[in-house]
Amino acid sequence: MRKIFSAFFTSAMLFFACNTGTPANNTADTAAVDVSKLKGSTLNILCWEGYAEPVFTKAFEDKYGVTVKATYFGSSDELISKLSNGGSEAYDIISPSTDVAGDIVAHDFVAPIDTKSISQWDSLSPQLRNMNDVIKDGKVYGMPFTWGPDYLIYDADVVKAEPTSWKVFEDPQYKGQVSLWDDISNIYLIGQLQGLDKTDKAALYNMSDAQLQSAKAELIKMKPQIRKYWATAGELDNMFKNKEVALAVGWPLTVAHLNKEGRNLKAVIPSEGATGWIDRLMITSGSHNKQLALLYLDYISQPENMAKVLSAINYNVANPGSERFLSADDKKIADASQFFDKLNFWQTVKERKKYNEIWNEVKSAQ
Amino acid sequence: MKAWLRKYSLLLPLVVWLLVFLVLPYCFIFIQSFFETDSFGKTIPGVSIDSYQRAFSNSLYIGTIFRTLIYAVLVAFLCILLSLPLAYWIAFKVKRNKTLLYTLISLPLWVSYIIRAYAWKIILGKEGLLNTFLQWAHITDKPVEYFLYSTFSTIVCLVYILTPFVAIPIYTAFEQIPKSLIEAAKDLGAGSFTTFRKIIFPLALPGIISGGTFALVLTMGDFLSPLLLGGPNTLFISNIVQNLFGTSNDRPLGSAVGILILLLIFLILGIAARSEKKLSSLKSDSR
Repeated sequence: MRKIFSAFFTSAMLFFACNTGTPANNTADTAAVDVSKLKGSTLNILCWEGYAEPVFTKAFEDKYGVTVKATYFGSSDELISKLSNGGSEAYDIISPSTDVAGDIVAHDFVAPIDTKSISQWDSLSPQLRNMNDVIKDGKVYGMPFTWGPDYLIYDADVVKAEPTSWKVFEDPQYKGQVSLWDDISNIYLIGQLQGLDKTDKAALYNMSDAQLQSAKAELIKMKPQIRKYWATAGELDNMFKNKEVALAVGWPLTVAHLNKEGRNLKAVIPSEGATGWIDRLMITSGSHNKQLALLYLDYISQPENMAKVLSAINYNVANPGSERFLSADDKKIADASQFFDKLNFWQTVKERKKYNEIWNEVKSAQ
Repeated sequence: MKAWLRKYSLLLPLVVWLLVFLVLPYCFIFIQSFFETDSFGKTIPGVSIDSYQRAFSNSLYIGTIFRTLIYAVLVAFLCILLSLPLAYWIAFKVKRNKTLLYTLISLPLWVSYIIRAYAWKIILGKEGLLNTFLQWAHITDKPVEYFLYSTFSTIVCLVYILTPFVAIPIYTAFEQIPKSLIEAAKDLGAGSFTTFRKIIFPLALPGIISGGTFALVLTMGDFLSPLLLGGPNTLFISNIVQNLFGTSNDRPLGSAVGILILLLIFLILGIAARSEKKLSSLKSDSR
């Protein structure tokens, strides 16, 4: 708590930050002149599921008289594909993860962010905001938003003992009750299961041909256990809801959604560790709404709004100041920040095409 | 000249439409199939047969095309099997309300594909209608998992969705058979089955072929049913194409696979058109 307050005190925005009733007023006065012009416009966000829930976007819409329209992408590859097929103009804000963020910046799909217009910038976790994969020529291209693990999620009503290893996916007892994500990240998962990242975290993202073949064989061996590969978080939610699966790799929002409906889902990081992601919000270079996009970044990074994000989807958020707005239960999630160092965060995969082909071969194997 | 113009000017809107939205995109896909990509998936114009080589050398592509073809033949066969008695019944057995029944066949087409695919999830799931019933009736003691998220559920959904496309041409073919021929067969002492086998079926064959071709071709191009209802082993060629464009971002390879599917479909349509023509006149049936 003290740390947070000291952050506030050192912040030049102290006075404004304490008048938290109207946080977005903190943005540069020049913005205020044009704000009325923004009325009626639409902010298009291309993001992961859960990143534009009305719980936290509604207030922004009301304040500026705008509409926030979210389009979800189901995998990093889908995001890249959308961007390179004209998405950079169709969307204003994107939420790439660490595996493709660097590439997106390098390929000029996004515009630099004027960090001075983001009142909470200096309060955002320094570790996250100083990551150099989204800094080019001294300019910042991404505002840290959320981070979290690729959890092992299980239905505690079916799986009685807490799983300690990803190997539980191969347990014949749960045949046909496992769901993996329809994504190349399963290759990382196998790499981790085989201990490839014990000494070098980057090993998962730079696997050799032999290692890829071995991962492929392992994933094919796992197929009889699999009910379905989920394509979207919503699909996984549904499968847990209809008791089609009891074990899955997934994100905290699935647990958050289902437990709100009275189910008993739990999430663990097994002994082999877990991969994770850090998601940044970026403004596309082709955006026609850059000013509104910047206002949104300023709005969503306010501690009370970040707290709303955390409580809606249970992802860890980038503004530690959000803690004082959290309920006791949500605080426990925020405390999970102690596992930050245990996660192997996604990195750029140079041979992405090859990873994708291997994954497709797994899916087509009979 | 004027007559010529008048004759064809009615076709003009369609020709323009097809040219802009069908022929040109296909040309573009064809050209793109010879491009290359950098590691990020950006296409580099050029003339390379690399994508075709990859499509042919990896069973992921060529193997899946043929596996999908087998599924498509199966779907077409099942659709025909379901449509024959239905169309026969409406064409020959029903006296009143024919139009109503005919409309009922096409009624499911008024509901969105996705909603109908989701409906199958409710029916076939572990806690779905079918499994609940089977357990209630003590036919099974635990849910049959294979009902949903499998090739089975994918085929069931496709058969359900495509049956109207097959039943309608078959019904039309039945309707066009002169009643006098059927009466003649009866007069000569043929029973219902013999009449069907020797008169009705051969005469309806062109309709059956065109209906079956519909189902076959539409299955070859379907990716939603396997995506929503398929299991870990269900992968249709359209899923791969969709993946190559939408996920792997390898547009040249996606285009090459697309061209191969297109050629295969042209081949199927060619065979179907030829056999329809061969069987379509009464006279050609010389037996």
